[in-house]
Amino acid sequence: MKELLIVIPAYNEAPNIVRVVENLIEHYPQYDYVVVNDGSVDKTAAICKEKGYHLLDLPINLGLAGAFQAGLKYAYRRGYRYVVQYDGDGQHRAEYIEVMLKTAKEGYDVVIGSRFAQKKKPFSPRMLGSRVISSMVRLASGTRIQDVTSGMRLFGARMIRILALNMNYGPEPDTISYLIKCGAKVKEVQVEMDERTAGESYLNFARSMVYMVQMIVSILFIQAFRKKDLDF
Amino acid sequence: MSVVLRVVLIAASLFTTLYIMKRIRNSKAQIEDSIFWILLALMLIVISIFPGIPVAITGLLGIMAPVNFLFLFMIFVLLVKIFSMSLKVSALETRLKNLTQEIAIRNKEEDEHEENNEK
Repeated sequence: MKELLIVIPAYNEAPNIVRVVENLIEHYPQYDYVVVNDGSVDKTAAICKEKGYHLLDLPINLGLAGAFQAGLKYAYRRGYRYVVQYDGDGQHRAEYIEVMLKTAKEGYDVVIGSRFAQKKKPFSPRMLGSRVISSMVRLASGTRIQDVTSGMRLFGARMIRILALNMNYGPEPDTISYLIKCGAKVKEVQVEMDERTAGESYLNFARSMVYMVQMIVSILFIQAFRKKDLDF
Repeated sequence: MSVVLRVVLIAASLFTTLYIMKRIRNSKAQIEDSIFWILLALMLIVISIFPGIPVAITGLLGIMAPVNFLFLFMIFVLLVKIFSMSLKVSALETRLKNLTQEIAIRNKEEDEHEENNEK
């Protein structure tokens, strides 16, 4: 068993999943991976089974947080030291896992694969949302995270245990903010991401608004009142 | 709106907010579920601090007293909330049913698999 597990939550990723997983198997044999099929209605699970991929097949759809947590539980049980949250649609590039892992080994609990650690954030509606959440996180935790909505994150062993076993630790900016306040060490590493090649983005305008309100209320109010009792 | 009503509103909304926060603190409620209640409590606080808002809407709708408007509004909000919860419960029941059936089927498949291996 390797020390790092790549968790790939996949919901209706049939057009992408083969390309994503084959790339990992072929070029990155130093890492383990597991696909978490989040109750897809397309052939994602069938394809993975046919190809013999490592697969956690959730019988119902739990959403990203629940699917990723399934992967974390698997990692915790098997005793992996690091987990990478990795997109099933091919946006993330595995070449950056190496530098993220190296950073984690320098003593960081959470390493964020950041599009804007060194590069400037462009002005677009989507990035406006990112800016707002970023400043909320800064307000609440005192730490500036440039790419807080990045979906590519690496978690260390003590984070894996906490995220796997407790509720309200979805892989979202509010959890990052809370973890910082609890004393977790978070670091951003510059990465590049590809545009998604197939399938539709989950976020449309209405959902983005709901997401923004949820994040703002959660970061400013809920996480502020949450007990800081992580036993690191 | 009378001063007493405002004080009661402020106290009630503060109490509600604190209670919700306490439950979340002890990891009893999911964040997604708490957000509705926190926004509602915040709105109550705003209304009780600025009674001009409900008074203006009351006049606009031709309702006799602001308190009547508050009742109407609250009942409406709660109705919508109950409806959405009812939908959520239905979805939950369906998921539970699917999950149970899925486990049973997978167990059966596993048994058959083992039997085949023994042969």
